Amino acid sequence: MFQPEAIIEAFHMVLSWNVLYWLVVGVVIGVGVGAMPGLTAATGVALMIPLTFTMSTASALGLLIGLYKGAVYGGSISAISFATPGTPEAAATIYDGHKLMRMGQGRKATLMALYASITADTLSDLITIGVAPALALISLKFGPTERFWLVVLACTLLGALSGAHPAKGMLGAALGIFIGTIGTDPVGMVSRMTFGLWWLQDGIHLIPMMIGVFAIARMLEGAIELLRERKVAKKVRESIATALMKSGPGLTFKEYIRTWKEMLIGLFVGSFAGMLPGLGATVGAFLSYSVAKQFSPKKQIGSGVLEGVAAAEAGNNATVGPTLIPLLAFGIPGSSTAALIGGALMLQGATPSPRMFELFPAVVYSLFIILLAGNFVNLGVGRVFAGFYARLGQLPRQILIPLIFMMAIIGSYSFRGNPYDVMVMLAFGLVGYGMRVLRIPDAPLVITFLITPMMEANLRRALLINQGDWVQALFHSPLSIGLLISCIVLTFLAIRFEVSKRLGVAAPKGEQKDF
Amino acid sequence: MGKWLKCNQGVGVILTSFFTALLIYIYLNPWAHRKLRDGFSLGFFPAVAIVLSIIFSLILIFDSRRKEVLPDLETLTFKSLLSAVLAVVVSWVYFALMREIGFLIVTPFFLLFAMYALGSKSWRNTVLVAAFMTVIVYGIFRAMGIELPPGKLAGILFF
Repeated sequence: MFQPEAIIEAFHMVLSWNVLYWLVVGVVIGVGVGAMPGLTAATGVALMIPLTFTMSTASALGLLIGLYKGAVYGGSISAISFATPGTPEAAATIYDGHKLMRMGQGRKATLMALYASITADTLSDLITIGVAPALALISLKFGPTERFWLVVLACTLLGALSGAHPAKGMLGAALGIFIGTIGTDPVGMVSRMTFGLWWLQDGIHLIPMMIGVFAIARMLEGAIELLRERKVAKKVRESIATALMKSGPGLTFKEYIRTWKEMLIGLFVGSFAGMLPGLGATVGAFLSYSVAKQFSPKKQIGSGVLEGVAAAEAGNNATVGPTLIPLLAFGIPGSSTAALIGGALMLQGATPSPRMFELFPAVVYSLFIILLAGNFVNLGVGRVFAGFYARLGQLPRQILIPLIFMMAIIGSYSFRGNPYDVMVMLAFGLVGYGMRVLRIPDAPLVITFLITPMMEANLRRALLINQGDWVQALFHSPLSIGLLISCIVLTFLAIRFEVSKRLGVAAPKGEQKDF
Repeated sequence: MGKWLKCNQGVGVILTSFFTALLIYIYLNPWAHRKLRDGFSLGFFPAVAIVLSIIFSLILIFDSRRKEVLPDLETLTFKSLLSAVLAVVVSWVYFALMREIGFLIVTPFFLLFAMYALGSKSWRNTVLVAAFMTVIVYGIFRAMGIELPPGKLAGILFF
């Protein structure tokens, strides 16, 4: 598994001006995306993927990983500045961050958010670098049966833990499986479910679908809200000055060190939430915040203290690296943004699978290097431009929404030059909007869509190996039985203890209402 | 819309009906019964996904949270729905015109129209943003080596 020559090749791939340039561009755009309420990391990554088509793999990863990291941190800027989380994962930062801002300590809070984000992100990346190869090694021992059950377990996790209603999460996952079957069956290469439309024979392409679900759906929601309210977010313009990094007290090293316990809680809770498909950064932030509050009642987290900002920000940024672990080890994305990065890797010809470390070791190692390098770029950009981003966060939605529409249309068209991709993208925009109104989470749909061919191919391969014997194909090893039992137990626990509802309470707006 | 339609139970009934119709559609299509070399029928996996969708929609009808009203659905009006569909139609028209006439010509008008429709008040700023963003985006795509539709008219005017 350890391949020194691949590591050297990865350093060659990453350490070029071109890759570093795109990494900086990614972080610069990402922090902006995060700071603008209504835009999420997934929206930004979905819109940028078509641009990566002409780039090298390392440059594409630089742009997307930089954007992802920047966006998760950037949400805290508007959360602290004007109590509106730029992204749902920054909602927990408001409690203490905005109170500090009102106490005239906006600069201190912004710096705490930045340092806690970078610290937890870097350490969680190291966890990713340690855990992913070990899991990949284990996954290589899996046969088609075990891989099939692993995908089923991932779908169950996604359904059970996403959104506030397990049945809706499961429904999202089932819909993703159905959409994944449109086009051509992965074994016999025979077309099916095309509704008589010839252009559906290749199936639905990941990129237009994701742009539709993550960009158009959110913009439709925002546009309708805007038409209904006709309000412009012009409230706290005057109070932003204190967050502009020019005035107010800064953060001392002693204050930073004082929050080590909260950052550590954020690191472990966030890493765990990132690794499990279905949880994600929002739950990571809120769980970390709640745990930190329970652990240190004397610190009065919630009353405007730095520890609260540290716990929430460490919790959300610690999910960024670990969310890629299931993608690299099993080919199963841990979050919608990880699914998008998986899609970008597919466009580059490096399809995520359990054999990723064997087939594309240089790509995996360059991803690791970019993950670590991205933190330093994020630190620099966040330190220098936080004030600018606080202003950017007030960009009127009347301007933002048409721009995103335009980017979505030309993005989904330009990467293949296929007009039907635009049609698919717009259709999924409506589907995504409908799902948001009905509170059906979109992450299970997208992730199960991506892994359905793997699930189907593995089941059919298992049946072929076992000459059509279903019992033998499905339950021939203790591991496969164990995975099946895990699925049943998980579903039971999710329904019995309403896990997703509890997590939904922890993260009130969740992934569902982020505009 | 009645209040019942805006709670989980109403949504469950609509979704169950839709997925049942889809299952019937699959069953009635001859391709679904076509046997593949490994013994699977072509419609097996799509049908499994739809059956799962029906099961989860049925849960929405009967579970303990069936009476829960969806806040977004409660405030949703016919006008809002129409606006969403209209936005998609306008986007498609923009795309069709962009392919015919060209990105550089159509995009500023699309942005102007959309910003105005969403309530942008300052005409000067709107025009400036529309023109500026069109040029910026065109420049970025050109620099990336990605060709945006030049269109027929643009071909006559500029090239």
